[in-house]
Amino acid sequence: MPHYPEGTVRALLQTELVTPATRAALEARLKAPADYTPQFFDADTYQLLRAVAARIFPQPDRETPIELAPAVDKRLTEGTADGWRYDAMPPDREAYRLGLGGINQAAQAQFQQPFTALSAEQQDAVIGQLAAGQAAGENWQQLPQNRFFEEFLAELTENYYAHPLAQEEIGYVGMADVPGWPHVAPNTLEPREPEEVN
Amino acid sequence: MPDEEVLEEGVLNPVQPEIQDPLLQSLLADNAAPATEPSGEEAPNPLPDPTDEVDCVVIGTGAGGAPLLARLAMAGLKVVALEAGPRRDPTKDYATDEKAQNFLFWNDERLSAGQNPVAFGKNNSGTGVGGSTLHYTAYTPRAHRGDLQLHTDFGQGVDWPFGIEELEPYYEEIEHFLGISGPTPYPWDPARRKGYPLAPLPLNGAALLMQKACAQLGIQTSPAANAALSARYYQEGIGWREACTNRGFCQAGCNRGAKASMDVTFLPLAESYGAEIRADAYVTEIERDASGRVTAVVYEQHGRTVRQRCRHLFLCAGAVETPRLLMLNELALNSGQVGKHFMAHPGMQVWGTFDEDIRPYKGIPGGLISEDTHRPQDADFAGGYLLQSIGVMPVTFATQMVRQRKLWGQPLRDYMRTYNHTAGINILGDCLPHESNFMELSDEKDARGLPKPRLHFTAQENEQRMNRHAEKLMRQIWEAAGAKDIWAFERYAHVIGTARMGLRGDDAVVNPDGKAFDVPNLYICDNSVFPSALSVNPALTIMALSLRTADKFLESLRA
Repeated sequence: MPHYPEGTVRALLQTELVTPATRAALEARLKAPADYTPQFFDADTYQLLRAVAARIFPQPDRETPIELAPAVDKRLTEGTADGWRYDAMPPDREAYRLGLGGINQAAQAQFQQPFTALSAEQQDAVIGQLAAGQAAGENWQQLPQNRFFEEFLAELTENYYAHPLAQEEIGYVGMADVPGWPHVAPNTLEPREPEEVN
Repeated sequence: MPDEEVLEEGVLNPVQPEIQDPLLQSLLADNAAPATEPSGEEAPNPLPDPTDEVDCVVIGTGAGGAPLLARLAMAGLKVVALEAGPRRDPTKDYATDEKAQNFLFWNDERLSAGQNPVAFGKNNSGTGVGGSTLHYTAYTPRAHRGDLQLHTDFGQGVDWPFGIEELEPYYEEIEHFLGISGPTPYPWDPARRKGYPLAPLPLNGAALLMQKACAQLGIQTSPAANAALSARYYQEGIGWREACTNRGFCQAGCNRGAKASMDVTFLPLAESYGAEIRADAYVTEIERDASGRVTAVVYEQHGRTVRQRCRHLFLCAGAVETPRLLMLNELALNSGQVGKHFMAHPGMQVWGTFDEDIRPYKGIPGGLISEDTHRPQDADFAGGYLLQSIGVMPVTFATQMVRQRKLWGQPLRDYMRTYNHTAGINILGDCLPHESNFMELSDEKDARGLPKPRLHFTAQENEQRMNRHAEKLMRQIWEAAGAKDIWAFERYAHVIGTARMGLRGDDAVVNPDGKAFDVPNLYICDNSVFPSALSVNPALTIMALSLRTADKFLESLRA
């Protein structure tokens, strides 16, 4: 699979190829402080959220991983939504409380320990059960497991690929669009579009 | 009408906002927002002088409201448009960043029920001066004659109360006013009186791959009609608009004015003729007198409650907010059709990974079209669909992909590394009206204390058969194009129906002119009045209906 050089988006953000509004949006994520104090979740639940996110987006290649939990905590604090919700799901805050609690219940049922105390392999086993709709735990009586996993996965994915470092990873430089893209056919790159390094 | 309460002289007001959701209650208590307090006997702020009456109030500034706003202003009427969202300057405020652009969408929560719950927000809705056109893909095919007569041709669905000849003059006018880029002659309708004013936009990677594969399979294709400028274009009331630079970002907002959203086309035209557009104006109540005539509209703006009196009301808030306002105000409900027959286009996508370096963020997303599938010979369903190539931005692609494929962990990161080699095709298919698909008001309240809408949608046998036909064909095309790791994403897009147009007041909300059967001075114009869904993207037809509605109204004034 393709790999791209590091630093591409960060370099483009320093140029006039990016509009001020675009730069502001991306730099805010790039420069987000590493230490975030949760406002919505209590400290333990927040650590659980971080631990699950770290297995859904494992980042052994990064000294400082992209933090995916702060955006979830912020959104739930503010109470903002994305315009819709599965009718079968409770409101988002309740869904996260029940869903994260359910992940701990599944960890207890299989390994007799909370999720954060498990090894990476054990954590993956629990997430695998959740993804397959097979996780144990009484919370899942109130929360459709497949829908929770879908929504949770989609939110983490949105937050991950909105990050400039993740965009460097997949070779996306669409934000550098001030001059436009005169060549749109396949295999016709502009100089600012990174070539694959394999 | 049931249980109405007279709150002040001659004004009937059935809206009783209250907050039941405990989470929202606590949120509101924390924020202590004065504008969202339940309104009791009196509004918290004084209303402006209610004697200031305008000829027409238009609720909504999207494809339904903007064209008629311009038409009415050009006819010399005093018109005011109320837009729930803000007015923004795309050249300064828009970022080329999907997450940062989430403000374009109607993000108040809607509840999605049924076997195929429909996604809203970025999938289906808009807010701000320009409405959903701020984020439409600019894909503007015309409806076909057969789309308006499904019942005649198939014995299923319903016919529109008029034929395509009623829309054609408006299609021509709008295509030339907006500066639509497209092929002339149009391969699936070569007898058109007028061609497109501009040449098609350049084909991107997905379009070229689809073009080549379809040629191998004997499927005719063409560069598509898109409401984005392939060359600089001059418009009355607006001036020069610059050509598209292939940013590929139509669905998250054009910052150049190249895409013909309403904020750079019909709305400035309307303002140049004296129309007033009030942004951040969220309508809560529609008042009427004892005879049932609409007398005024009440809206919230910047924490104040404002009443605007009007002689005529045009409701153009889209197929969720329009029926919601009608239900909240117990207005035009006699037919029993408000909220009924909710439709959504089958919009199945098929994605694949190619050897070619595609960079799917470049170029007009829907570059190529085929309408060979408008009435497929081997179809086992009524109606048909169009095929289009699709480019895609990374966050949209990634989130859709995980919803379908449920990849997580290293396989997720690995798959997304192939983003630059990804291309898609999708369909836009007709949807039959069905009684089990509808909108209702739920018991759950939003931050304003009003009931959230709940939409029930289940793809019926006809949609399922169409999906199977389309998925098989799209997989064939992508295999012929050389794609690997092909996968399909079943989805439904566009919100249609819920206040349908018809010949009789016992089975339709508005008459063929767009006028409500029950209310003498209420017109409705948006996708809610569509009797059937059409096999094409709705924006162009909504605009055509909008101009036609304005003309019918102006004729009635002269009569």
